[in-house]
Amino acid sequence: MGAKAAKDPVPRVSIPLNPVFGWTVGNWMENFFDGMKEGKILGSRCPDCGRVFLPPRMICERCFAKADEWVELPATGTVQACTEAAVKVAENGDMVDLENPEIIAMVKHDGADTCITARLEGADASIGMRVEAVLNPGAENVLDLLAAYRPMG
Amino acid sequence: MEKEAAIIGYAQTPYEADSNCSRELLVLQATRAALEAAGLKREDLDTIVTANNDYLDGRTISNMRLVEPAGSWRKNESKVEMDGAFALLYALTRILSGDHDIALVVAESQASVYGGILPGIMMLDPTFDRQRWLLNEVSGAALQASAYMDASGVSEEQIAGVAAKNLDNAAGNPLALRSLPGADAAKVMASRPLYSPIRDLMMAPLCDGACALVLASGKAAAKAEKPVWIKGVGFAHDSYLTERPLESMNSLKLAAGSCYAQAGIEDAASQIDLAEVHERFAHEELMSYEALGFCGPLQGGAFFDSGATRMDGKLPVNASGGAMGANVDCGAGLARVIEAAMQVRGDAGKHQAKGVKTALAHGQTGICAQENIVYVLGGE
Amino acid sequence: MARNEVAVVGVGLSKHVSKRRDVNMAELVWEAVSACYEDAGLKPRDIDAFATGNMPAFEGVNVPEEWGAGHWGAYGKPVLRITTGGTTGGSVAHGGYYLVGSGLYDTVMTIAFEKQSDGNSTMGLDTVALADAAAQLQLGVDPAFIAAFGGGAVGVAVYQASSYMKSSGCTTHHLDKVAALCRNNAALNPYSHLKQPGLTPEEVAKTTLLQYPIRFGHVCPATDGACAMLFTTGEKARKLTSKPAYVLSVASCSDEAALVGIAGSGTTNVDPCEQESCKLAAARAYELAGISDPRGEIDLAEPYSPFAHQMLMFYERLLLCDEGEAPSILDSGSMNLDGELPVCPSGGVISTNAIGASAMERIAECAMQIMGKCGERQVKKEVHKAVAHGWGGAVNLNVVAVLSDTPRR
Repeated sequence: MGAKAAKDPVPRVSIPLNPVFGWTVGNWMENFFDGMKEGKILGSRCPDCGRVFLPPRMICERCFAKADEWVELPATGTVQACTEAAVKVAENGDMVDLENPEIIAMVKHDGADTCITARLEGADASIGMRVEAVLNPGAENVLDLLAAYRPMG
Repeated sequence: MEKEAAIIGYAQTPYEADSNCSRELLVLQATRAALEAAGLKREDLDTIVTANNDYLDGRTISNMRLVEPAGSWRKNESKVEMDGAFALLYALTRILSGDHDIALVVAESQASVYGGILPGIMMLDPTFDRQRWLLNEVSGAALQASAYMDASGVSEEQIAGVAAKNLDNAAGNPLALRSLPGADAAKVMASRPLYSPIRDLMMAPLCDGACALVLASGKAAAKAEKPVWIKGVGFAHDSYLTERPLESMNSLKLAAGSCYAQAGIEDAASQIDLAEVHERFAHEELMSYEALGFCGPLQGGAFFDSGATRMDGKLPVNASGGAMGANVDCGAGLARVIEAAMQVRGDAGKHQAKGVKTALAHGQTGICAQENIVYVLGGE
Repeated sequence: MARNEVAVVGVGLSKHVSKRRDVNMAELVWEAVSACYEDAGLKPRDIDAFATGNMPAFEGVNVPEEWGAGHWGAYGKPVLRITTGGTTGGSVAHGGYYLVGSGLYDTVMTIAFEKQSDGNSTMGLDTVALADAAAQLQLGVDPAFIAAFGGGAVGVAVYQASSYMKSSGCTTHHLDKVAALCRNNAALNPYSHLKQPGLTPEEVAKTTLLQYPIRFGHVCPATDGACAMLFTTGEKARKLTSKPAYVLSVASCSDEAALVGIAGSGTTNVDPCEQESCKLAAARAYELAGISDPRGEIDLAEPYSPFAHQMLMFYERLLLCDEGEAPSILDSGSMNLDGELPVCPSGGVISTNAIGASAMERIAECAMQIMGKCGERQVKKEVHKAVAHGWGGAVNLNVVAVLSDTPRR
């Protein structure tokens, strides 16, 4: 392949643009957040195949039916996948070392067919482990309503 | 597919951490070299499909600044915002439709100008996962690896072994960014931990680069030297990562099924001589052995241990070093197709495997390899 | 010759409004997709592949189908993402043509959308300026440039309009007339955004002047909306419906990126109203479609015109008359719903602009007019052949499709 056009580093500009988006979550996710404000975990159920989505989805991808039945699910569930994070992603996209590693887990609530990804308290985790959700019904930010999971006794 | 479309030329730029030139220049280099390799001029092109991504480019409509370097000025042009291996499918349909005879596919990105893995985070469900800042392409892959290891009994050492094999192979590939001749699992296991079990050397390195490929109709390819025919192609999309079983690559299995049906492959392990798979993380290569039917479900680790996929094995995988050697976003899957075509032609130089008549190439896009595409290529 | 004849057997559109706060992006798109399945009488299991696209800069979501495609019936199917800026919807529909035409996939759904209300709110732009910024983003202007200059310029459109006016004899009154014609048509279209029944050119002339010659009334709105179409082989189409709309040909053509003095990119040497690539794409599309006399054979046109002058300019660039003739053809009434060659019967992009979807909606309107599904806005004449157009990039990419009530010979 041809030689480089220049040996010296090419000039660069950095564009400090940090747009904020205002995503509409839609009625299904709004219902989910409203439920957690009252300490309830609400999933949506497909009327055709009976699969339960948590977080809720409006459409069942397999049946293409409107998942408009609501079910209250227990706070308990099982770890489906987990990882010990030695790093986190900084705002500029770099992976920077964490002082204290943390566990990230994908949890399937009892009665649900899809997973929620969240932090798992404690130092050890394994697939199949029983956990329960740590709910903060009073949280100001809806994303903190379900802050983490913790291992069951 | 019987002699309906063939690859008649291709080129890759060197893959570098920082190419120290504009993306336009990278695309121009790859395009010119691919046209030259095909013995064609810009005027001969009927249609151009570029593969790039607005978020990787950092500007909207990322194809429009590539009009001149990709040779598409006043020509039929479009863009696929996925890996170039998917752009190749679009080019293929443009040829098979009968409206075009010669197509150019060119893929590019420059990791040195965008924020690491941020564009991957922007693929997440914006109503929930994206805002929680836990999932990204690496942590997603780690979760998938954990589920796969739990289901299959594959160990971290076996995953590290795959990375070591590919990094060793990459030593034979002059274009690779990263290579470790003689690497072993221990060396990979000693690299920086990221999200367990993923370590730095198990993750394909992002880099700068471009690659281009010229595709011709059967009629046009008949005049070309050493055409590499597309025998089959299959493509499937998987569910969002929290809504599917992570321990198997279902969409890759579906894609392989439709590709094999077109190519007349009944027993992949015996009929395919070499594979180039797009393993952005080392465990994905083991999972792909299973999804591609090289071995039975959850047998990927044992199949690797048998040595079958080493350079001198019966089904070498990633003789080029694969994505472990260089992983240009949007380009690494197309590079797998190019590498597979090189092997079929016997043009792979130091990393040429023996007796490659039928080769498989795989490309992917998305978190936890959500979208997969498979090609089977052959010579005369 | 396409290996497979390609036909449209279904069209679906969501509601098109400024802000949808009850649905998220994926759910909004579901409305169009679901309507499309119903229109064609097909189910997700009948679909062999999907093609989709939007302009991701607006919503800040990269490859949104990774999260959204489950809402569209795409489970386990190929989903090809095709994005080309303002032309995205057209490019995606062209993808539908090629995927079916290739013989690799029989039945293909194409989906294009934009949910502009999810977009960047830090720029503090009101509706007018947002439309302006949206148009600039659509033209490929660097977002940093827009952020720096706020909503101050209607950008390249004003240069293009004034250049077109100089070369064609088009007056500001013609711009007012185009806007009135389109918004009146839009009033008859249940899926349009800005409905202004009875709007007169005189009323348009009284709207705020943004930058000469473009007034507020000459500019598209910013819309949330989605469009889906179903393409299948001629053989299957004839079993599904008595009146499919055949896609005779598609063609795209890209020219030099040309932004006049904006963002320091491209060349200032190209006259933005020249649009040579539109003429080339149109000529190629007519050639493939076996149309030797577009002026005599085309019954209906849907040019892509977010700004009023573009309806006339692209009418010319689509080779439907000599250059400079369009303003007098407008005056003759030929472009009206009951005219000889109705233009923008849907109300056009000037009335509804869910950016990524807009160029597909042009093709969808042509298909619906041929299929006779347009209700109140159905044109008076019988539509045998129609031309649909999309425009975008840095004033540089044009996509053209020709549809017909009879298959390609």
